[in-house]
Amino acid sequence: MAYVLQQLLSKSAKAYPEKIAVWARGRSITYRELDERSNQMAHLLRKQGITKGDRVGLFFPKCVESVVSMLGVLKAGGVYVPLDPQAPADRVGYIIGNCGIRVLITNHEKREVLTPETLELLESCISTDQAENGKDGKLIPWSMLAEFPADHAPAVSLIETDLAYILYTSGSTGRPKGVMLSHQNALTFVEWCAEEFHVRSEDRLSNHAPLHFDLSVFDVYNTLEAGATVYLITEELALFPTSLANFIETQGITIWYSVPSALMLLLLHAHLTPEKLKSVRTILFAGEVFPMKYLRQLAEMAPAAELYNLYGPTETNVCTYYKVERERLASLEKLPIGIACANTEAFAVTDDGRRAAQGETGELYVRGPAVTYGYWADQEKTQKMCVPNRFEQNFEEKMYRTGDLVTMAEDGNFYFLGRRDSMIKSRGYRIELGEIESALLSHPGVREAAVLAVPDEIVGNRIRAVVAIHVPDSLKPMDLQQHCSTRVPKYMIPEVIELCVELPKTSTGKIDRVKLASAKEPVSVR
Amino acid sequence: MIESAAVKDQIREYVLEEFAKTKGINQITDQEVLTKNGIIDSMGIFRLVAFLEETFNVRIGDEEITHDNLESIDAIEKLVISKAKK
Repeated sequence: MAYVLQQLLSKSAKAYPEKIAVWARGRSITYRELDERSNQMAHLLRKQGITKGDRVGLFFPKCVESVVSMLGVLKAGGVYVPLDPQAPADRVGYIIGNCGIRVLITNHEKREVLTPETLELLESCISTDQAENGKDGKLIPWSMLAEFPADHAPAVSLIETDLAYILYTSGSTGRPKGVMLSHQNALTFVEWCAEEFHVRSEDRLSNHAPLHFDLSVFDVYNTLEAGATVYLITEELALFPTSLANFIETQGITIWYSVPSALMLLLLHAHLTPEKLKSVRTILFAGEVFPMKYLRQLAEMAPAAELYNLYGPTETNVCTYYKVERERLASLEKLPIGIACANTEAFAVTDDGRRAAQGETGELYVRGPAVTYGYWADQEKTQKMCVPNRFEQNFEEKMYRTGDLVTMAEDGNFYFLGRRDSMIKSRGYRIELGEIESALLSHPGVREAAVLAVPDEIVGNRIRAVVAIHVPDSLKPMDLQQHCSTRVPKYMIPEVIELCVELPKTSTGKIDRVKLASAKEPVSVR
Repeated sequence: MIESAAVKDQIREYVLEEFAKTKGINQITDQEVLTKNGIIDSMGIFRLVAFLEETFNVRIGDEEITHDNLESIDAIEKLVISKAKK
């Protein structure tokens, strides 16, 4: 039984040395090569001073080297931090400073993006480009790996509760927060998936989600667990539904996992036929609500496939799941989030602190070995979300408050009702509206800002902002969008910004969001 | 008859105003890969196609919405011109 993630690779490298483990951008790597390259990477990282628990950032577009790097960091005893390759320099710099990254794996192009202040924090950068002569001696070329031993990893004593990776998500106070995940957290999920979805060595898994998104944990590690092959879908390919559908068909993908909006794009624009999806035996989706109308269409296009709705925040990975019952598809009005995964307990707690009975609304709490320890360097936030389990009198443990309101219906399934706070989802991305408001308020010309979510069938939500500025006509919406682009990822920039002199207030002096939301009709696709 | 230079100007103007500037990018070359760095996202692709169909009175099929056809201003111009000739 594996207790650290890299053991999944060791096992499959022994069983299937010449099998392809990872495919990306027309290149592939076998299990033996992945094992050897990641051993070399671990030695190289050790030489750069990385020891147990040190964070290493990954900042480059998805490629074969992504998986080599992840495993290399783990084998060195380190903790990897996947950074969004499309994020603005300010945000990447914040994360590098926040979790104390000193060694960054990147490429020439991405390194150019970093600010001088961020580069100051880094002791060295390893480039995924084959040959690279850093002028300042800080860029180590990928070809340097060849100088390190391939047949074994450095000696390091890790246990399952050591950290494996940190995933940064949107934070309500204006800065992203780092969710700490241990080997045990990840393996609890991976082992449940292996059992539930029967992943086998013949399987071909897709990886649609970016690597800083927790959906990718299944794609990568369940592939390694089973000795299967994972096909990394690049950002460019993901944009073109027809190309993506052809990709699924020609690569013979058997297990697909993505946000529902990616599946909806395929349904709407790829001229799907059951023929195109004939290799796919399991379709998993998570990250946002899948409208029933489109789920029914998907079920018709993949008549033999098993469909699963997976639910869970990054802090728990997947904690509940619903296996779609085809016979209920026609009558089901809303898709359940289902029941708790193995080795996980999920329950609703009412506002007055009781465990909710069937039919009652409550906030979903989760306990078990899949649940995060909390947020990197943020005690306050950790204490707010990871609370002592007061339902357990005999020993101390924590449970995680998801902030999601749910109810358990008569069919024994949980149903998602809404959020307690102002976090929203767009294309599966978690977005704290407060983070966008902070970005707007950091502009000197802005007095007040309110960011609102406009529900949208395909992407979940679109973002609209209403901003009060100090001097009338001093700013254009475009100026503020540009300002936001330096602070938040592109998917968080408001699509529409309306300017005014003052925001409407409630009787208690707070911004009247209800009035703002009802003031204008929903924004449509222009 | 569609004038090639005019087509390119209109496409460049639209891409700049609609996608690039709101993301803090004020300049793009005709060869720059638009899908890189998230200048155009998945919903943006379909807004772009709707714009091309309306502005240049051409019809672009879903199977033609590919990376090769839409990756840069040069590529988009080539697509529009080839469609307009038919």
